[in-house]
Amino acid sequence: MRYSPYEWNESINQRNDYIEDKLKEGSPVVALSYDNGILLLTLRRAQRKIYEIYDRLVFSAIGNQSDIESIRTGAIDIAHREGFTRSPDDVSIQRIVGFAVSPSIKKIYADPFAAPVVLRALFAELGKKPVDDQIFIVSYDGEFTSNRKMAAIGGTPYAESQMLDHVKSAFSGGMPTLDDAIKSSIFAWGIGRIQTDPDAGDADDTEPASDRNADIRAFINERVDEGWVVEAAVLERETTRESRYRQLSEQQLADAIASFKQI
Amino acid sequence: MSVFEAGSLGMFRDLVGENAVPRPRPLIDESGRYSGGDVDTHATTVIAVKYKDGVINIADRRATAGNTVMYDQAEKVMALDDHTLISISGSFAKSVEVVRYLRHAFKYYERSQLQSMSLDGKLQELSRVIANNVPAALQGIGAFIPIVSTFEVDGGGPRIFFYDVLGGQFESADFGSAGSGSGPIRGVFEYIIRTKGPFREMDREAALKESLTMLEIAAELDTATGGSAKYLPAAKYIVEDGIHDFTEQEVKVGLGKA
Repeated sequence: MRYSPYEWNESINQRNDYIEDKLKEGSPVVALSYDNGILLLTLRRAQRKIYEIYDRLVFSAIGNQSDIESIRTGAIDIAHREGFTRSPDDVSIQRIVGFAVSPSIKKIYADPFAAPVVLRALFAELGKKPVDDQIFIVSYDGEFTSNRKMAAIGGTPYAESQMLDHVKSAFSGGMPTLDDAIKSSIFAWGIGRIQTDPDAGDADDTEPASDRNADIRAFINERVDEGWVVEAAVLERETTRESRYRQLSEQQLADAIASFKQI
Repeated sequence: MSVFEAGSLGMFRDLVGENAVPRPRPLIDESGRYSGGDVDTHATTVIAVKYKDGVINIADRRATAGNTVMYDQAEKVMALDDHTLISISGSFAKSVEVVRYLRHAFKYYERSQLQSMSLDGKLQELSRVIANNVPAALQGIGAFIPIVSTFEVDGGGPRIFFYDVLGGQFESADFGSAGSGSGPIRGVFEYIIRTKGPFREMDREAALKESLTMLEIAAELDTATGGSAKYLPAAKYIVEDGIHDFTEQEVKVGLGKA
């Protein structure tokens, strides 16, 4: 079967629509550097969403669970093979994402007869110094962007930019503490999710900022009451533990979650 | 390399193929002769003892080759994960290689399978590595015998395992020791237990002091065990919340040097 340029264009557009429609339902994920590492945070119903890939590499994604899983296990395999045969220092986000994950996704995306990868992924690498922290976002077409200090993935590009606008404020006084980073991320999640949540109604950008903030707080509270769980994990820069990766416990998150209860 | 070729059930050995440790070596050489010899001595002294709240690991820092002291700052107590220490005796090169392999294998399992490998699973992997190393050990190139100490957070508490050269695994109720210096001090353990009571009833400082005294005795009786004159011995302990280093000050106090 041969393709005309027109048909190729059509097929790509249909793919994009199909994938973007599915991604809309994804629960956003926020990543940001704080004074002793990198935090990844999301709210979820059941399935765990934040994963350790290697000593200094974490991963989270929205999209089809099976696609997320194959990218996750693939990245883990490559990182460990590389880290063992060479050195853990040779496992870098640039090599894993740039030379393994991205080309693999691109190859599938470009094949009109293959089911596309439905995913928007976030990889974060902890640097030796805070300025070396890197966060990559990989799209379903294999394209990726590199970010410093903060990044977010959400249902739509608009939701992502809104989330980032909020997270920026966490850096107004230099690097945030972990507590501040957690609170800022939960709120940013609310901003991102309220845009695409089928139960939330249309977010109204025209109302005063204070009303909008109250709406978002109420929205976050509702989700927590419905049983959504705050999931957060960090890569710690200074630690005496063998692993830098640590999932934050309910206890450690309780204060931050409670702060949204107060109006 | 593509990310879409994964799918091993956390088996690191399969992932790295021929790079897995140890690489098998034939015992029969090209001319068909048996090329084995005696298992070489495992120069070192490493000691693990349980105390009231956890388990202590100490080791001398000497690495030898025959009669030559190669290195006086060797690190023979290494973390395998957040609650497990391996103290090694024997071929230093082989040991470092094995520890690197095990660390990767355990972490690979945990990260890919989203659960920690069970203690039995970890010990089994270590036994297999030692057993696969037997041909090399018999050829006199790289016997190693470890002690594994761990703290089971779900109620198991501190545990100590020691090994023979074939990979046989034994669990110890109180203490473990390996290396060429462990023979001469074997009786000292018994003496301390009979005169001062079991280690597992001692506090951290007392147990460290007794262990360091034994290490000093081993250094005096065994040429391949380093003393504490130039560099302090390595000393770590594991408790409920993970692995910690003894501070230099604590080690000096334990040695009576503070």
